Amino acid sequence: MSPGTDGSTASTVRRLIAVSPPPWGRLAGALGLGVAASAATIGLLAGSGALVDKAATRPGLGAIAGLLAVVEVIAFARAPLRYAERLSAHDAGFRALAGWRVWLFDRLEPLSPAPLRTWRSGDVARRAVADVDALSDLYLRALGPLVLAIVVSALAVCVVGVLVPGTALVLGLALVVALVGAPAIAWSARQTDAERSAAGSLHADVVDLVQGAPELIAFGRASVQLDRIEGATRRLADSSRRRARANGAVTALVAACMGGAVTGVLVLAIDALRGHRLEPIMLAVLPLTALGSFEVVPPLAAAASGLAEVVTAGRRLLALDDLPRPVSDPADPQAPPTGAPEVRMQDATLRYGPGLPVALDGVSLALPPGSATALVGPSGAGKSSVLNALLRFWPLESGRAMADGVALDAMAQADARSLFAPVDQDAQLFAGTIRENVAFARPDASDADIDEAVRRAQLDEWVAGLPSGLDTPIGERGALLSGGQRQRVALARALLAHRPVLLLDEPGAGLDAEMAAALLDDVLGAAGERTVLVISHRREEIERFARVVEIDAGRVVGRRWGAAEPSASPPP
Amino acid sequence: MRPHLAVAAAAGLAQTVTVVVQAVLLATVIERCLRGRTTTSDVTPQLVGLGAAIAARGMLGWVGDWVGQRTSASVAGALRRRLLSRVLDLGPSWLAGERAGELALTATSGVDAVGVYFGRYLPQLILAALAPIAVLAWVAYTDWVSLLVLVGLVALVPPAIIFFGRRATEAATRQWRGLSSLSAHLLELVQGLPTLRAFGRVDYGRREVAEAAEGLRRSTLRTLRVAFLSSLALELLAGLGTGIVAMVLGLRLLGGHTSLYVALAVLLVSPEVFLPLRRASAEFHTSAEGKTAGERIAAVLETAPPRAVTVQGAPAPDAGQTIRFDRVTVELSGRGPALDNLSFRVDPGRRVAIVGPSGSGKSTALHAVLGLVAVSSGTILAGSVDLSSADWDAWRRQVSWVPQRPHLFAGSVADNVRLANPEAHDEAVAEAVRTAGLDAAADRLAHGLETPVGEGGALLSAGERQRVAIARAVLHGGRIVLLDEIGSHLDEAALDRLRESVEPWLRDRTVIVAAHHPDVISGLDDVVKLGSPVSAASTSGPEL
Repeated sequence: MSPGTDGSTASTVRRLIAVSPPPWGRLAGALGLGVAASAATIGLLAGSGALVDKAATRPGLGAIAGLLAVVEVIAFARAPLRYAERLSAHDAGFRALAGWRVWLFDRLEPLSPAPLRTWRSGDVARRAVADVDALSDLYLRALGPLVLAIVVSALAVCVVGVLVPGTALVLGLALVVALVGAPAIAWSARQTDAERSAAGSLHADVVDLVQGAPELIAFGRASVQLDRIEGATRRLADSSRRRARANGAVTALVAACMGGAVTGVLVLAIDALRGHRLEPIMLAVLPLTALGSFEVVPPLAAAASGLAEVVTAGRRLLALDDLPRPVSDPADPQAPPTGAPEVRMQDATLRYGPGLPVALDGVSLALPPGSATALVGPSGAGKSSVLNALLRFWPLESGRAMADGVALDAMAQADARSLFAPVDQDAQLFAGTIRENVAFARPDASDADIDEAVRRAQLDEWVAGLPSGLDTPIGERGALLSGGQRQRVALARALLAHRPVLLLDEPGAGLDAEMAAALLDDVLGAAGERTVLVISHRREEIERFARVVEIDAGRVVGRRWGAAEPSASPPP
Repeated sequence: MRPHLAVAAAAGLAQTVTVVVQAVLLATVIERCLRGRTTTSDVTPQLVGLGAAIAARGMLGWVGDWVGQRTSASVAGALRRRLLSRVLDLGPSWLAGERAGELALTATSGVDAVGVYFGRYLPQLILAALAPIAVLAWVAYTDWVSLLVLVGLVALVPPAIIFFGRRATEAATRQWRGLSSLSAHLLELVQGLPTLRAFGRVDYGRREVAEAAEGLRRSTLRTLRVAFLSSLALELLAGLGTGIVAMVLGLRLLGGHTSLYVALAVLLVSPEVFLPLRRASAEFHTSAEGKTAGERIAAVLETAPPRAVTVQGAPAPDAGQTIRFDRVTVELSGRGPALDNLSFRVDPGRRVAIVGPSGSGKSTALHAVLGLVAVSSGTILAGSVDLSSADWDAWRRQVSWVPQRPHLFAGSVADNVRLANPEAHDEAVAEAVRTAGLDAAADRLAHGLETPVGEGGALLSAGERQRVAIARAVLHGGRIVLLDEIGSHLDEAALDRLRESVEPWLRDRTVIVAAHHPDVISGLDDVVKLGSPVSAASTSGPEL
């Protein structure tokens, strides 16, 4: 499934603008500066033409002083105007981008973590963030140059039209042909989806060659893979040749229009001069204005291909908007139970999408208050789906999940989640200090509470040894910490949340057996009155639990209560 | 490539000539019309020439683009094949020290950047050197006073580019850390959404996203303010060129020291002195990318491949003979011995396990059998044939290998099983799949064996990936089977099931298995123990 490949270009652009309106005032300011800079380019050429025309009549310095001053001012002002335009256009573009970033965050929020499962491989979050970056070109490269070209062209047509009315028709016609033709040619040669995916598969083939070199050599397939890559390279070269041809056609079209316009305007100007309808010093102004006005056309070809890129990224993002939200708050939410509830799942069936296999197939399990349960099974068995169902990230297709008899989906989402404190597999922490991350669920927690959570997660000795203690920054995603430290910070965060049920998803993943065992001991020791559910796959870990539920292919295939003895093979 | 470059530069230079022609014709027409009662028909040839000169400029631009693209594509295509062939020659032992992602990026966008460097930047650079000289030569011939003005301004271009270019690089370096950490923060917030939701901190996340976006805007603009300075300086010099030339010409016209024709023509040509310089400077970024990638690629191409592993016309070893390791040592460049003085033998149809802790050289021993690493000293014999001077292709056709971390290629599960034998019948594939115990996994997948495996097999579990590798080895049908750590991704019960289904296939084949524990397969005839640490290990095996 490749989401979001429909929707016309215009409607995609309209929707992108609608979901996050850009700073119109700043865009207008940038446009104004751009018009001024382009006018300066044309004015410098035409003005100095007029200057020498007039000087050639040897009228005396006083007569050309005014024109001279204008030309010099324009010569000085043009570059700063262009500089200011580029900066303010980028500023406006980045402001619009900030709006889209927040929009994306809000769109992904109700879908997380689910869309990761229903889409093809690859990290949806990473791709979506990159797609938003691509949107900055909408104003900078696509719409901005387009509006600028139209305004500057209209101005140039007005200027020549005021001097010799007939020239407006000639220049106007030539500019319209160029303004429509150039982007149309570029658009027709834009990168197709097939070419885009060819580029993607070339990259995949190269990665395969690098990573799979041993297999390719051992199974005698190296030259086949090289040929395959060469074929893909050749196909891509064909498509870039097509685009180069289109670029050339644009250059030629613009030149033809420009040549026609300059010559035509000059012919009409000479006639007007002979009929005394034109001041002699304006003779140079007309063809030079026509020549200069074509400056705004070539960026339109880039604008067309830029727009194509923006629309592709935009469609993928808007497809996120069209995905149904898996979970919503009930109209009349019930209050969550207070104290330590009994959490129970009954015949729970869960499916991540129509046509996809069931992830949970009639799972029943009970978590009495204060109990500790291990949930075991091979990967893909549905262990994480149990957590997704309890945390109400994904709805049950049938069956029920309850806390003290109150269905979780009858509560507001926030209330249902407030019963559970998760410690996820790769301990998702956020850039900031240790203190901020521990106090994440309760930012108003007292220092004493924070110290207590840190102590119970067995972090206190380590923290005491740090020069900045709790105020030590941990880097993005906790990159400055070791795997074990990350897990313990996540544990402290879950403990401080003061929620009745701890949910731990493979807390020892990525740690060696000894560290994982120590961590698990600390979890069980720190849990206190809390109910604990631990997902695990290590035999030596499971043996600590009096209650073990084993699932496979979404079904409960084994249970063990009481005696903490290694179980024999699970019942089929 | 060199003729392409010459054509592209010539096309650019011809464009410059058309600009001069255009200026001369326009100046002639205007001067004649202003001097006397000239009608359009008097200047028809000039007018036609003017239109043609402008149009010709466009055509020449087309030629330049076309040649440039051709050059880019042919340079990139040839370079990619050379680079990747060298990567394969250097082999797995060299690849182990490289980062695959970075290398793949070099072989794709890096190679393209080198192509663009030769196709677009280099012609532009040549033009930036030649075109201003050509234009200035014409100005010198026409009006030497204007020449002085223009030369004075052009002389300021290189110091301006160097000065502002350096500032821009410094600013980019200063901002880089901040920019990348803000980008990383944005990503962690989106990826951390489940955590934010679970703890009721979505509003905090949204606030942080808005703040990081604002921070990105501010620091990017700080960089751009400096980065745009060099084009500001170039544009300012170009504008001043026209402005000052116009002023000087105007004043000299007042005094009658020059003609209107000269004044108009020089005026129209003056921007052309700066244009190629501005274009080359705008392409500077692409050039830097191409240069960096080019250096990286050159370094790979200059790395000598390890001792040749394939010899033409060499004898084909027979897998039905005894395999003998005689004091085999494998040294990996810069990493010391990976296998030290190993001796053992496997008779046809027998099973030998090589056991030892991680890093003791078990996998290296199997790689040596396949010629994936070069043997530094000692010999591996198949019967009486020394593998180092044997026909490796023929030998590898007789060896079925199940690597420890198998690589899955883009395509379906079935495509991956067919790796060694793409023309295999469906029944043969189905049989191999059954033998490897992959059929249960296939039932779970949406489209069975035709399900795409995802990038690097991401849609399959580690255990399933290994079963694909086993099915691949079964379909390959070698008489020698090399098993590398087959049990590591499976639990006890799954391993039992696998042993059971693979057993009939292993029967009558020669098996070498590398493992932590010797009990990974049954019916072992011998166990070779490797010690640790690697380099100090004096490995001993059964008597030869």
